[in-house]
Amino acid sequence: MGSSLLSAQDRQTLVNVVYAAFPHSTFPRGPYERAADAVIAEAGNDPRFLAQLLQGLVDLDAQRDAPFAELDAETAGAVLRGADGAPFLTSIVNSAVVTLYSDPEVWDLLGYEGPSYDRGGYVDRGFDDLDWLPDPKIEFEEEVPAS
Amino acid sequence: MTRFEYDDSDVVVVVGSGAGGGTVANELCQRGFRTVVLEAGPHLTGPDYHQDEWPAFAQMAWGDTRTTSGSWQVATDFPNLPAWLVKAVGGTTTHWAGACPRFKAHEFTARSTYGDVDGASLLDWPIALSELEPYYDKAEIKMGVTHRHGRPPLPANNNYKVFANGAEKLGYRYYSTGPYATNAEPYDGRPATLQDGFNFQGDKHGSKWSTLVAELPKAEKTGNLDLRPESHVAQIEHDAAGRATGVLYIDRNGTLRRQRAAVVVVAGNSIETPRLLLLSGSAQHPDGLANSSGQVGRNYMRHTTGTVWGQFDKPVRMWRGETMAGVIADESRLDTDRGFVGGYYMETISLGPAFLAKFIAPGRWGSHISDLLDGYRNTAGMWIVGEDMPRADNRITLSGDVTDQHGLPVANVHFDDHPNDVAMRTHGQRQGASVYKAVGAHKTIETPPYPSTHNLGTCRMSQRPRDGVVDRFGRAHDVPNLFVADGSVFTTGAAANPTLTIVALATRQAEYIATELAKTL
Repeated sequence: MGSSLLSAQDRQTLVNVVYAAFPHSTFPRGPYERAADAVIAEAGNDPRFLAQLLQGLVDLDAQRDAPFAELDAETAGAVLRGADGAPFLTSIVNSAVVTLYSDPEVWDLLGYEGPSYDRGGYVDRGFDDLDWLPDPKIEFEEEVPAS
Repeated sequence: MTRFEYDDSDVVVVVGSGAGGGTVANELCQRGFRTVVLEAGPHLTGPDYHQDEWPAFAQMAWGDTRTTSGSWQVATDFPNLPAWLVKAVGGTTTHWAGACPRFKAHEFTARSTYGDVDGASLLDWPIALSELEPYYDKAEIKMGVTHRHGRPPLPANNNYKVFANGAEKLGYRYYSTGPYATNAEPYDGRPATLQDGFNFQGDKHGSKWSTLVAELPKAEKTGNLDLRPESHVAQIEHDAAGRATGVLYIDRNGTLRRQRAAVVVVAGNSIETPRLLLLSGSAQHPDGLANSSGQVGRNYMRHTTGTVWGQFDKPVRMWRGETMAGVIADESRLDTDRGFVGGYYMETISLGPAFLAKFIAPGRWGSHISDLLDGYRNTAGMWIVGEDMPRADNRITLSGDVTDQHGLPVANVHFDDHPNDVAMRTHGQRQGASVYKAVGAHKTIETPPYPSTHNLGTCRMSQRPRDGVVDRFGRAHDVPNLFVADGSVFTTGAAANPTLTIVALATRQAEYIATELAKTL
C-alpha cells in the first residue's frame, strides 16, 4: 500500500495537512489519520502523485522556521492557504474530503446517522420529530394560472 | 426469461431502460409486441444498493468519461462529469427523487409566450397541454403519485417543516409535500415508504416508482420482454430505403452483436441518445442518423439549478425521510416581471456529510467548509429548479480525441449559461435564503449547480423537420421507424422535474407505435 519513500514523519505531517484543510476542533486524530492513510494508499498507486506529495511535504516544512507538523493551527492554516492550487494539495484535498466525511466516526461526531434501512428507516424513529416549529399544511393546491 | 433471436426482425428494440425506455417497453409488451431492451449498465436490485453516498455513486453512476466545454461552472468543477445519471437497469429512475409536477399550458408555447429572447432558440412544442393531459393522468396512476387520483400525501418530514414554515412566513401559498412518486401507503404491489432517506442511492425498499421495480417486472410477466443488461449500443443500422433495420451492440463479453428490429426506440438520456445518433452516421446520413436538420445534439438544456442551505440553532436532521417530498410552486408562475422569463420550483433536498462537503463549494477547503459541516445536524436544504433557455450552441458533440472503453468517441457537453438562467438562479437563491431566514436561519449558504440530473432537449420535437429531430410522437423526421423516448425530445425544458412528462410522452408514444405497427405487421 504505502510507499517506503514516505517516512513516519511524513505521515504525521500529512495528518496535520488534512487537519489544516478540514479543521474540526471536536474531532480526535483518528479520522484524520485514516484520511491521511487513504491519501498514502492513493499515492502508492500513482507515481506522479507520490512524487508531487513527497516534494509538497518538503515545501510545506520550509515555509516557517518550524516544520509544518509543529505549527499552531492558525499558522498551519495560513501556510496551507499559501499552497492552494498546488497539484499535490488539490489531490490531498480531493481524497480527504471523501474519506474524512465518509468515516462513521465523523458521522457520529456530526450527529449524522448513516445507513437507516436495516433499522427500519425513520418512519418510527423521528423523521418528523422536529418540534420547534408548528406542523405545516401538506396538501397540494392547484395553482391559479396567471390571468 | 424470454429470449428472442438476433435475427428476429419483427421485434422492437429499445435502447435504455429508464423512464422513457422502460415505460415504452412495458406499454408495448402489454400490447403483445415482442420487445428487446438493451441496457448499457448492470442489473442492480434493492439488496445491491448502498446507503453510503460514495459507494452508491461508484456503483450506480454513469462514470464513463465525458468531456465538457463552455462557461458553465460544472466544466470547471467537474470537467469529466457533466451529468449525474445512472448506468444500470432502471436508468436514472433508480436515482431520481420522485418530484412530479406537471408542465403548465404556457410552457408548451415558450416561444409564443416569452417572445424572441436574445441568444435563445426557443420554439413552441408541436403539442399542447390538453393533448398530454390524459397521459399525465395515466402516468400519475402508473407511478402512484401522491396527492393525485386519490393517493394520500406524504407526511411532513423535518426538512419540510422548516421549508414550509418559511414559505408560509414569506407569504407563499402553493407549498405541499408533493406530488411525489413514492408510496405513502402500499400501492400497486409495492410497500409504503420507511422514510429511510437515500432517495438518490437507489431505493432498497421499492416504495419509490422506478422502471426497475414497476415497468420492467410487469413487462417481464407478459413474456414479451427480453431484457439484456450490460449491452452497449454502438450503432443503429438502416437500409437503402432509409428505414432502421436494427442495432449493433457490445454485449457483456465484449462481443459485437447485431439485433434486428422492426422499430428502434432510443432512450439513452439526452447525452447518450444524440451521441448514438451521431455515431450512426452513414453515406445516406453523413452528419449522423436523423440529422438532416443539423439539430441532433443541439439545444441541450439542464434546468437552471442551485441549492440553498439554512443553518439553525436547533436540530433539523434533514437526512431523515423522503428527500424531495416538499415543493414551493409559487415562483413557477408565469410572470415575466421578475427580470427573467420562465419559472422555477423550490424543492427540499438533503445530502449526507460526504456529498455536502464535496458539493457545497466544489474544490474549496478550509475552516469555512469544516464550520459548515459542524452545523450539519442543524441544516435544512432546498433545491432550485427552473426553466433554462435552449441555445443552438449548447450541444452534445462527439469528442475528436477521447474514446470510451469500447473505442467509441465520447460525448462532449458544451454549455454556456444564458443571462436569463443567471438572473433566475440569483432570484431563486435569494428567495430560498429568505425562506430560511424567515424561520430563524443564522446562516444561509448557496451552492452552485451539481453535475446535471435533468438533461433535456438534444433531439427536440418540432412541427417542421428543419427545426428539430423528432415529430409530435417522438418519431424521427428522417427515419420512419426510429423513435426517441427520453427527455431529449423536449422542445423546451419547462420548470418541472422532467420524469413525469417523459413517462407521459412515452406512454403516448407506445400507443402510437402499437397502432402504426399493427398496420404494417
